[in-house]
Amino acid sequence: MGFRFRLASFFIAALITVQGLTAVLVYEVTRHELIGEGQRQLGVASTAFARQLDDISERVAASVQVMALDYALRSAIAQRDEATMLSALRNHGHRVGATQMLLLDTDGRVEVDTLGAYPTQSKFPYSDLVNRGFERPAAAVVAWHGRAYWMVVVPVFAPNLVGLIAAAIPIDDPLLARMQSLSALPKTIELATIASDGNWTVVARGSERVALTAQLTARSSALPVKPILLYVQGREFVAQAVSLNRSTQSAPVAAVLGYSVDEALSPYRSVGLAWAGLLTLGLVVGLIGAWLIARGVSRPVEQLAASARCIEVGDYSPPLTIVRGDELGELAAAFANMAQSIREREAHIRYQAGHDQVTGLANRMTAESMIQLELTAHPGNPAALLMVGLGRVPEIIKTMGHTVCDRLMRDTGERIRGPAGKGLVARATDTQFSIFLPASGKSEAIAVAFRIVDALIEPYRESDLALDMAPAVGIALSPMHGVEASTLLRQAEVALISALGSEEPIVVYDPATDPHRPERLSLMGDLREALDHGQLELHYQPKLNLANGIIDGAEGLVRWQHQTLGLVPPDAFIALAEETGNIRRLTRWALEAGIAQAKRWSTTDRAIRVSINVSARDLDDADLPRRVAELLALHGVSPECIALEVTESAIMGKPDAAIDVLRRLADQGIELAIDDFGVGQSSFAYLRRLPVRELKIDKTFIDHLTEARADQTIVRSIVELGHNLGYRVTAEGVDDVRVLDYLSSIGCDHAQGYLIARALTDTAFDDFRESDAATRWARGS
Amino acid sequence: MRTTAWLICMLALAATEAASAADLNVRIADDHGKAVADAVVTVLPQDDASGQKPAARPASSSKTIDQKNLTFLPYIEIFRPGDKVVFRNSDQTRHHVYSFSSIKAFEFVLVPGESSPPLVLDKGGVIAVGCNIHDLMIAYLYVSDAPWIAHSGADGLVAFHNLPAGAYNVRVWQPRLRPNKPDLAQWTTLVGAAETKTLAFNLSLLPDSRHEFDREHTRY
Repeated sequence: MGFRFRLASFFIAALITVQGLTAVLVYEVTRHELIGEGQRQLGVASTAFARQLDDISERVAASVQVMALDYALRSAIAQRDEATMLSALRNHGHRVGATQMLLLDTDGRVEVDTLGAYPTQSKFPYSDLVNRGFERPAAAVVAWHGRAYWMVVVPVFAPNLVGLIAAAIPIDDPLLARMQSLSALPKTIELATIASDGNWTVVARGSERVALTAQLTARSSALPVKPILLYVQGREFVAQAVSLNRSTQSAPVAAVLGYSVDEALSPYRSVGLAWAGLLTLGLVVGLIGAWLIARGVSRPVEQLAASARCIEVGDYSPPLTIVRGDELGELAAAFANMAQSIREREAHIRYQAGHDQVTGLANRMTAESMIQLELTAHPGNPAALLMVGLGRVPEIIKTMGHTVCDRLMRDTGERIRGPAGKGLVARATDTQFSIFLPASGKSEAIAVAFRIVDALIEPYRESDLALDMAPAVGIALSPMHGVEASTLLRQAEVALISALGSEEPIVVYDPATDPHRPERLSLMGDLREALDHGQLELHYQPKLNLANGIIDGAEGLVRWQHQTLGLVPPDAFIALAEETGNIRRLTRWALEAGIAQAKRWSTTDRAIRVSINVSARDLDDADLPRRVAELLALHGVSPECIALEVTESAIMGKPDAAIDVLRRLADQGIELAIDDFGVGQSSFAYLRRLPVRELKIDKTFIDHLTEARADQTIVRSIVELGHNLGYRVTAEGVDDVRVLDYLSSIGCDHAQGYLIARALTDTAFDDFRESDAATRWARGS
Repeated sequence: MRTTAWLICMLALAATEAASAADLNVRIADDHGKAVADAVVTVLPQDDASGQKPAARPASSSKTIDQKNLTFLPYIEIFRPGDKVVFRNSDQTRHHVYSFSSIKAFEFVLVPGESSPPLVLDKGGVIAVGCNIHDLMIAYLYVSDAPWIAHSGADGLVAFHNLPAGAYNVRVWQPRLRPNKPDLAQWTTLVGAAETKTLAFNLSLLPDSRHEFDREHTRY
């Protein structure tokens, strides 16, 4: 429900209510007043009516009296000339409007009756009138035969009293109508008398015929002498009866007067119509006014709402042009100011979000989206992404703090801009800048990279410090390496890391050497599945005992036959398993497989000691010794039948915990060997404490053993050192018979490598042991 | 008054003849006790055979009813049968003197200064005389052969002297008595010589038509 509608309906409701209540009030008050007025008028009118009737009756009496003074009539009466009397009475009766004339003798007996209604010498019924008539003309109302009359009795003097004349003058409808027309009497007048049946009967009516008497007597047998309110034929009347001055010998005669409230209200009807007209006009004007006012409020509000929606979708452009002096104007102004502030703040935030605060360059998010836009706009076009890193920045931060580093980075950004030319320079990470070179091939990218390196080779100077930044650049090319900005960024970073770790300051991305290809992630899921579904196999590489030429050991190596990728090299998934925390499961599986195999071999006449590789992460597991013991017990394998191989670096990570685990393993009687010995940062201090029985010389020392004298020295020294410490020494990667000979000559204990055999399945291993190949090194003992 | 004086004189003469004479006083009042004038009192011996009669009847006389200031004067006049009446107009206007009386009906139109011819009243009774021009004018001619007759003055008293002892029928008539009522009568007996009897009559009277009832202009 809109504001306009509500305001308009409130206005109309208020107007109608107020006007309606006023109308009802005025109507009721008016009606009440009119009823009161009617009651007063009736009170006056009934008295007045009775008085008027009396007055008229006196006039009539006077007329009759004058008539009675007629000499001829008097003469006829005095001389009792009946024929003359009758005709004279008729004649004179016409003059006064009488319908009946009588001559009464001084005893009140009828002598002459023009109608012949009373027999001669009968007693005239209205004796009270006769008695009064001796003294003066007497007149009163009488009811006779269903009609009302004035009965006037006057004396006849000739010159003494010789008789009385009675004249009956009808009080009929025309007479009442004439009385009403001559004076302010109510329109409704009825004369009623009590008929022979005892009920009030109307004998004459005024101009307006309303059955007041019937209605009144229906309520009560007596007529009301006070005004009362009643409904007749659906109309409202105030009615009152007044008893008329009548002959005591006549039945009662009353006049019933009615005052029509409706009629009294009729002048107000036009007022009411005018009122209704005014109300309608007021409603129309009020509606228009309310609509205009509401529009004056709601239209700017709607405009503001529209503007708010524009702002919501980020469109600040439409200026608000509501100029008003009222509250809405203030609101609109505040709204405009708010929109302006939001616009500015958003621009600021947008800038901050898209730019690095230190260098003022675009940040990685912005750079990525801009690069993506460029790549999408020109698909197939050559483009290059350069990632510039400063190798010494972490060190500088630790030494000098972030403030200096920030200034350094700002300086670096400035230096890069020149050689970058039109390329998009952005700060990709805390320590790296990216430069996107659209429409540039590999050679141009490398040229730019060199110029950048040249620009950054000069140390950063601050006060008396000169900080060498060790810049490096990684390059990724599109579309050769990828068409996605994120891909290029990652690849350029990989190349940069490669560059930082090498002597070359500039490295172009090489997918072959990328250790972080995304497909490796999916490989982990596959590895877990392979572990669950037995897709892994443990292969065994024979170890040749150089002292007697017998195969007496084997190193268990995990082989993974992937369903789609085929044979997955161990390098590819073991490092991954270590990073993702799956190495323990892998180790557990290898231990179980290796111990089971050791059990099988232990039942043969020539036992083979199975070596199983243990990762650095396994050494964090304090439960490892117990689990190995459980496996051995489960399979009923003697601890001497297996050996565990650990790399130097695995121990050096957390030496104390590792040594503890290793010691508990050794305490169970399990042989431990240090794998890849010589390439790690072995500490002789720890080596001394390790419960190790074997050193395995890394194959890097063995590969070139025949040519490199230094390697020969190292290997010979290790063998000597190992023997002196009480260790056995094994050489790995032996693929040359001369190497084997040399190793034998210096007293190395075991050899392992392709020359002897590659890793074999258990059955192949057994076959190999039975073959000539296994026995050719054997020396007679 | 002359009639009264005459009567008294006659009675006085009779008393000298008969030592056993009595007096009769009649007092007439209305309902309110107010003295009523113009009441005619007749005294008739109850027994005519007693021979108690006044002196012999004098010769017939003529009496004039004058009309002055729109009034008949006198208002009441007592006549003996055979007496004559003359109506004289002493006003500046005409008078139309009439009577519809069954005893004597007549009608004269008298110009100012004119007198009617003498009219013989030969029957007893009351003759109401009016003027057709002036409704307020009325006079009564009381014609009676009663031995004692007199009318009251303003004091409402009528006195009869030297009545012979005996029983008398005393009647009172007044014009304002209700019509068709008989004259008020009272029997009385007078005994002894020096007895003086007083009778009181209370009359119920209509208003005096000459003054109180304006027949032309009824009160409004």
